[in-house]
Amino acid sequence: MTSAMLTPPELVWLMAAVAKGDQAAFERLYAATRTKLYGVVLRILRRSDLADEVIQETYLKIWHNAGSFDPKVATPITWMVAIARNRALDLIRKKTEASIEDEPAAMEAAGEEPNPLARREMTEDLRRLLGCLGQLEEDRRRMVLLAYYSGWSREQLAVKFEAPANTIKTWLRRSLLEIRECLGS
Amino acid sequence: MTMDEDRQGLAAEYVLGTLDAAERAQADALLLEDAEFSTVVRQWERRLGELNVMVAPVEPPAPVWDKIRDSIARASPATPMRLPELAAPAVAAQHGPSAEIIDLTQRMRRWRGLTVMTGALAASIVAIVVAREYRPDMLPADWRPKPQVVERVIEKPVEVVREVVREVPSARPAQFVAVFQKDEQSPAFVMSVDVEKRMVTVRQVAAERLADRTYQLWIATQPGAAPRSLGVLGNDDFTVRAALADYDPAVINNATFGISLEPLGGSPTGQPTGPVIHARLLQVTPAQNP
Repeated sequence: MTSAMLTPPELVWLMAAVAKGDQAAFERLYAATRTKLYGVVLRILRRSDLADEVIQETYLKIWHNAGSFDPKVATPITWMVAIARNRALDLIRKKTEASIEDEPAAMEAAGEEPNPLARREMTEDLRRLLGCLGQLEEDRRRMVLLAYYSGWSREQLAVKFEAPANTIKTWLRRSLLEIRECLGS
Repeated sequence: MTMDEDRQGLAAEYVLGTLDAAERAQADALLLEDAEFSTVVRQWERRLGELNVMVAPVEPPAPVWDKIRDSIARASPATPMRLPELAAPAVAAQHGPSAEIIDLTQRMRRWRGLTVMTGALAASIVAIVVAREYRPDMLPADWRPKPQVVERVIEKPVEVVREVVREVPSARPAQFVAVFQKDEQSPAFVMSVDVEKRMVTVRQVAAERLADRTYQLWIATQPGAAPRSLGVLGNDDFTVRAALADYDPAVINNATFGISLEPLGGSPTGQPTGPVIHARLLQVTPAQNP
């Protein structure tokens, strides 16, 4: 099974085949997307056993719900990543509502941002998004990235940034609003 | 954009990932109920989804694929809980314009997908309950509603289901159904409302039964209005209450219903104090013209 990343139109085509129950297409879709999805959920869950579980559930959901994928609304990869992230987030929110202090080391190790790509590897949309993130204050930007990449809750961010969770909530929402305005979409 | 600021924030934070479990459940319920909320969430997924380009790929262990492949192979040849395809446009044509019916159809598809995926019997039951009341002709003969009330007693949400069937003469199909979704996999309650008789029936599907708490049903007649209690749900799976006697049918049609978790005996304040899940009524049978 190779894992060469396919182009978005190829993925859309595969999704349509998967929606019709084509198992070979599903295997190709898995091959083309598994390392990305696994990377995304592993950053959030930080435990490979949980990541395995979430990835299985995610692909089963993709298999059964491929018919509801709408290429006008999402790209295949954003649709799939959204499913995977939601699974992962549901899992950690249910698991660790009260155990934030348990793993400070793991929290630190989770890092903040993945390695930046060379500019030429970036999509135009990503370049614009990073531009908008760059306009946020340093702390606000780090909060947004820790939340998105590492699945930190408001409470975890509150500990790290030494502010009440409610204040974190206000900051996050304001930052997101600014991002939306900046992107103009 | 008509959605209020709080809901906009909820949608954005849902995608960012910073909501707690209860808020996520609320957002999941809204995703099923509220097309605008759903659109806003999809927009955020697309906006922020670009960030994933920067996530380093990691190879999952090989057995992961084996398990996925085995699961779909098991589910594919014959899926006993699979519901028949519903033809949404035909339904709309038959019963006149009703966006709600189409909406429900899409939801049904979604449930069907979830059902097959998780194998969660509880979810299947909801889909079937809704289908029974919605398009009985689409279901196998054995599943079509007979003039009966079916009580489902779920002892463990996904394992043991016992049905108690009682004959009820001249039972009418419910006119409206609302689904209270605890989270994606747990439709907590299904409520059906007979507007003509102003009668509410709540089936506790996958809601947890708690010894020291009760569930309380609320109605909010318009967005932003303070909810009013419709009563405390009994511990039975099947609760009938003539709780809507004071409300006009048009008001009921547009109301939002909520179920909250309260101390025994109900909310001490007259307003929901525990976590609330919301639902809006969906028309499942057209207005009858005898």
